Amino acid sequence: MKSVILAFATALLLVACGKSKKPDEQAFLNSLDSTKKGPSIDEEVINSILQQIPSPLEISVLLKESGTKYNFSLLNTPDNLSKYNSNFKKALNLGVYGTDLGYTNIYQQNKDGIKYLASIKSLANELNIGQFFDIETIGRLATNSKNLDSLLLITTENFNSINRYLQTQGRANLSVLLLTGGWLEAMQITCQVASKDLKNKELREKIGEQKIILEQILLLFGFYKEDENMASLLKDLTDLKAAFDKINITYTYKESTMEVVNGVAVIKDNSTTTVDITDKDVQAITSIANTIRIKIVS
Amino acid sequence: MYMKKITLSIFLISLIALSTPLASQCNSENFASACIPKLASGFNFLKSYKVDGEGGAKEKVEYSYVFTKGTQYMINLCASGTATDGIVVTIFDSGRNKVASSKINGQFISAIAYPCNATGIYYIQYTFDGAGGKCGGSALGFKR
Repeated sequence: MKSVILAFATALLLVACGKSKKPDEQAFLNSLDSTKKGPSIDEEVINSILQQIPSPLEISVLLKESGTKYNFSLLNTPDNLSKYNSNFKKALNLGVYGTDLGYTNIYQQNKDGIKYLASIKSLANELNIGQFFDIETIGRLATNSKNLDSLLLITTENFNSINRYLQTQGRANLSVLLLTGGWLEAMQITCQVASKDLKNKELREKIGEQKIILEQILLLFGFYKEDENMASLLKDLTDLKAAFDKINITYTYKESTMEVVNGVAVIKDNSTTTVDITDKDVQAITSIANTIRIKIVS
Repeated sequence: MYMKKITLSIFLISLIALSTPLASQCNSENFASACIPKLASGFNFLKSYKVDGEGGAKEKVEYSYVFTKGTQYMINLCASGTATDGIVVTIFDSGRNKVASSKINGQFISAIAYPCNATGIYYIQYTFDGAGGKCGGSALGFKR
């Protein structure tokens, strides 16, 4: 009889063991420096804010559609990789390079894209999340401009998988850094382009609209005040918020209308937002965003 | 006799513990992945969402995203059986005003095209109508 109980206990133990962390996950958790221990916070709240942050790809598409030419000098050079020695910097710059990769992809600058891909893979490996980048497939897709859709799809899926993984591992702090790095890089690119095209109202509005996203990012950083690195970046982002506070975004709701066209519910959005932003505001935001970005990529 | 009872108890508890998750299993991740290639041509993939009503335990599944003025978004739905299997996606603005729905005049539509005219945080809410499987997936894409 004892042997029956022992067999059951062993079986239950095996089931339980099946759910334990894999060695690489454990290595990942052990390898974190300043972000070693996440605070005791509601991960669900953090994850729900994280998923709101829009993809930087939207900005790259806007720039291309508005006729802005490709400019490699706006990006963080992939050669800066060796400068990133802490996991804090690695996670931030993984986000930065993610935005840069998206930008090169949208402009079909595959040679540059492959350089970013190599730096991304390296940073991801160092953070023990390299398993989410199938560099061979992405590299193959990147060599042919006809594969743009697949390339965009697979890189977006890879970054989504990383964020999901980090969140399920209770390491959402790294996800926050990744998304913040990506957002800041997109902000910086938009600001640099807008500073050379002051009459472009759409770009100016796009910068002003970032107020909404910055507010969400600040909420996220608020959970990690105890971390020295995060607190320092929070201070910089708070300075940026002060510049954004001068911008007014007015939202007017008006009921939408809908109709079915070829099996798709097509919505006519009758609500509007207006963004009040001056040239001076754009200059102030550009200056602060650039200062923060230099700190991150240097 | 006493040992027999203990053994039987362990056996039953183990059986219940191991079988419960299987009974309410919903492979929403598969549905979400299957939905990505179904985004209409020209749309760039942004996010995939799992829609698991946990066999009726959940009335709704909700996500949020910042939609941007001047961008057209598409949200599609995938489920087993009939097109949406009773799953309805509704978009609300940050003030919880309804801006879009996949249920129009009682008809369940499997995709919404939403050209956003007002930047802000929006809630993407999935609800379940009728006696469907309350299990599916969804994908969000965009184009300019």
